[in-house]
Amino acid sequence: MAAIFSGAPPQGGPGYSFNQTPRTAPSGLRQHHGFYPYTDNGGSTLGISGADFTILAGDTRSTSGYNINTRYAPKLFKIGGEGPDNKNARIVLSVVGFAADGDALKERLDTIVKMYKYQHGKEMSVAACAQRLSHILYNKRFFPYYVHAILGGLDEEGRGALYSYDPVGSYEREQCRAAGAAASLIMPFLDNQVNFKNQYEPGSGTGHDLQAKVAAPLPRDTVEELVRDAFTSAVERHIEVGDGLQMMIITRDGIQETLTPLKQD
Amino acid sequence: MNHLPQAWGRPRDDVYGAYDHSHFQTQLPNQHTQSPIVTGTSVVAAKFKDGVVIAADNLASYGSLARFTDVKRLRKFNDEVVVGFGGDVSDMQYLDRLLNSLDIRENYSNNENPLHAKNLHTYLAKVMYKRRSDFDPLWNHLLVTGLDGEKKPFLASVDLLGTTFSSPTLATGFGAHLAQPILRRTIPDEDAVANVSQEEAVKLVQECMKVLFYRDARSMDKYSIAVITTSGVELKQDEKLENQSWAFAERIRGYGTQVN
Amino acid sequence: MTSIGTGYDLSNSVFSPDGRNFQVEYAVKAVENGGTAIGIRCKDGVVLALEKLVTSKLQKPDANKRISTVDRNIGIVSSGLLPDGRHFVSRARDEAASWRSLYKAPIPTSALANRMGSYAQAYTLYSSVRPFGVTAIIGGWDSEAELPVDGQVGSGPKVGAGGKKEDGKHGGPFLYMIEPSGLYWGYYGAATGKGRQVAKSELEKLNLSEGGLSLEEGVKEAARIIHVAHDDNKDKEFELEMTWISSLDGPTKGRHEEVPKELREEAERLAKKSLEPEDDDEEEEKMQE
Repeated sequence: MAAIFSGAPPQGGPGYSFNQTPRTAPSGLRQHHGFYPYTDNGGSTLGISGADFTILAGDTRSTSGYNINTRYAPKLFKIGGEGPDNKNARIVLSVVGFAADGDALKERLDTIVKMYKYQHGKEMSVAACAQRLSHILYNKRFFPYYVHAILGGLDEEGRGALYSYDPVGSYEREQCRAAGAAASLIMPFLDNQVNFKNQYEPGSGTGHDLQAKVAAPLPRDTVEELVRDAFTSAVERHIEVGDGLQMMIITRDGIQETLTPLKQD
Repeated sequence: MNHLPQAWGRPRDDVYGAYDHSHFQTQLPNQHTQSPIVTGTSVVAAKFKDGVVIAADNLASYGSLARFTDVKRLRKFNDEVVVGFGGDVSDMQYLDRLLNSLDIRENYSNNENPLHAKNLHTYLAKVMYKRRSDFDPLWNHLLVTGLDGEKKPFLASVDLLGTTFSSPTLATGFGAHLAQPILRRTIPDEDAVANVSQEEAVKLVQECMKVLFYRDARSMDKYSIAVITTSGVELKQDEKLENQSWAFAERIRGYGTQVN
Repeated sequence: MTSIGTGYDLSNSVFSPDGRNFQVEYAVKAVENGGTAIGIRCKDGVVLALEKLVTSKLQKPDANKRISTVDRNIGIVSSGLLPDGRHFVSRARDEAASWRSLYKAPIPTSALANRMGSYAQAYTLYSSVRPFGVTAIIGGWDSEAELPVDGQVGSGPKVGAGGKKEDGKHGGPFLYMIEPSGLYWGYYGAATGKGRQVAKSELEKLNLSEGGLSLEEGVKEAARIIHVAHDDNKDKEFELEMTWISSLDGPTKGRHEEVPKELREEAERLAKKSLEPEDDDEEEEKMQE
């Protein structure tokens, strides 16, 4: 049926009176696609891993353009815990970008990690969860989840583990990562303060004699301080960041969650 | 007549030009809603200490034409949930029928735990997200109001992209610009909710409806308002804005008697 | 003529020489063993009642409901094979839903009875299937109000043509009974199952066609009839299950619902009292003395 009514006359076939007749339909208004399935809900997240802990943080503002949708929309989610509050979870996912995709991604990863536990009788390792998350994102690369994800937990040696992702699943284990609206403001700060970029040993000389300061895992209170400073600064300079700071600190004792106010302007 | 059967019964290309086969839709992708047609404007809602108030006017516009003036945009789902619809009216009617069938199925068994507002919000969020992911969106912005599983006030929104958020006060469309700041003045955060009475909340929302009528060109002065508390849903669909005062216009150039 | 050994009873779709379908008649036998189910069409609603035989003390009392809701305003109670009854109800729900998606309005009880009659009848035609082992009673209230189309948002024009005839009768209570053959009739009172003969004669005494019986009275009569029809000697334990559908301004607001516990217990108390004539006699005798 479709072949008969496929439109253009048979290849090379004549049949019509004039050769000059248009062979393709004019492209008019009907052609264009008016629906764009994404939006940016603003906000920022960051994660830093230490020797025996990982911290994930995100602001709680949700925006649509210049509007604030709500002052409390969490971007940090416990993954694979028990019950509606995800008790005893050991993995945290943070998502920033398009919030609906973020929620959908969170829900998928959460059910997968839970199913893993039910089927294998043990918790999924952070490394396995990290790779699984990459696959979820990559599988949808032609219609991506428009989010920057950061996954945090403790690795099998008990060290802080932090993985960061692009929207189509490329991922890497890092010491620290900032994502979202204020990533460009926070990341250079973290480079300098966590990985000691552009910091040198005092008195090591000048020029080529300069000795780069060697990065080492930072203590927990230092890291918490860094996170707070990073966000209070970002709030000053970025309109999509503010309202509240949600932090999750993953240690061998579990996940400790805090919520502190940020400026609402 | 042509000897090619393919050409029979069709407009002659030499006379009418090539036929636009996108009308025929054989192999082309389905055409989905690319823009809303008949639309409703803002929905506003606010929590108070033992429930939620929600309001929307009774107008459905066709572009700039005030086309239907008795359109009910608040839908009572059961004794503890009301959904408010902004955006395309035909998609709202579809969702209404969807909720109807859901309600019928829920009541096959004499349910001890009926669906509460949080359940319904989750359900609607998944419907909306699925449709946007199929590139066939339901062109609406919804507010879901009522009581959650613990009989506490619940207020959350879903839009055509499936984006969800919750807040002590919410307003869709123009209301996000005009009503939300007014609402936030009285109810800035979740803690403030406990200090707001039902009367205050109703007055606040009515005030917002008035401001919206003054300034939103696609609004009208007839509106619906619903109050959801533990004692049930009180839905009024034929309200009219009272005590309008255009005195403020006096000071605005182009509105009042001032000419230049 | 007996069917045994003739071979005419081995398949659906085969008539015996004297024009009977034995498979259907056997299905009727299955129904005759089920607990009594009745329906009463009152002037302002419909009552459905069932003698639910308790097959095990390990079953939770008041659980495992047997009277089902279809759409919002229709109930079905059946007697016979339980799983057949469930499938029958499931089909009725699908019919009601498909009617809604086509017409954007609830299915009238008569239309549902018609469709379910056709459905049951189809199971008498083919050798690959067997007839339903149930007789179902369908009770419903068709709304007397001007119903909005599903999804309608406005109230429509206030002037002009259209709408319903002013003085006509719209909606009301309806009661149908469908048998395994697919045969169905509308009834004032319907009974099926073990105690149907007793129940029918009790129903006849109510003069239902005169339309005098109110819904509340109907509930009490239904409870009484189920108790009267129950054979204490053969079946010891049973539970009374009752549902009702009233008019829009009645107690259920046009919806099919379970009869409230208090009302059901009151009706059952009265039913039991009416079954103990000895007490009254004794009292009377005492009075005479």
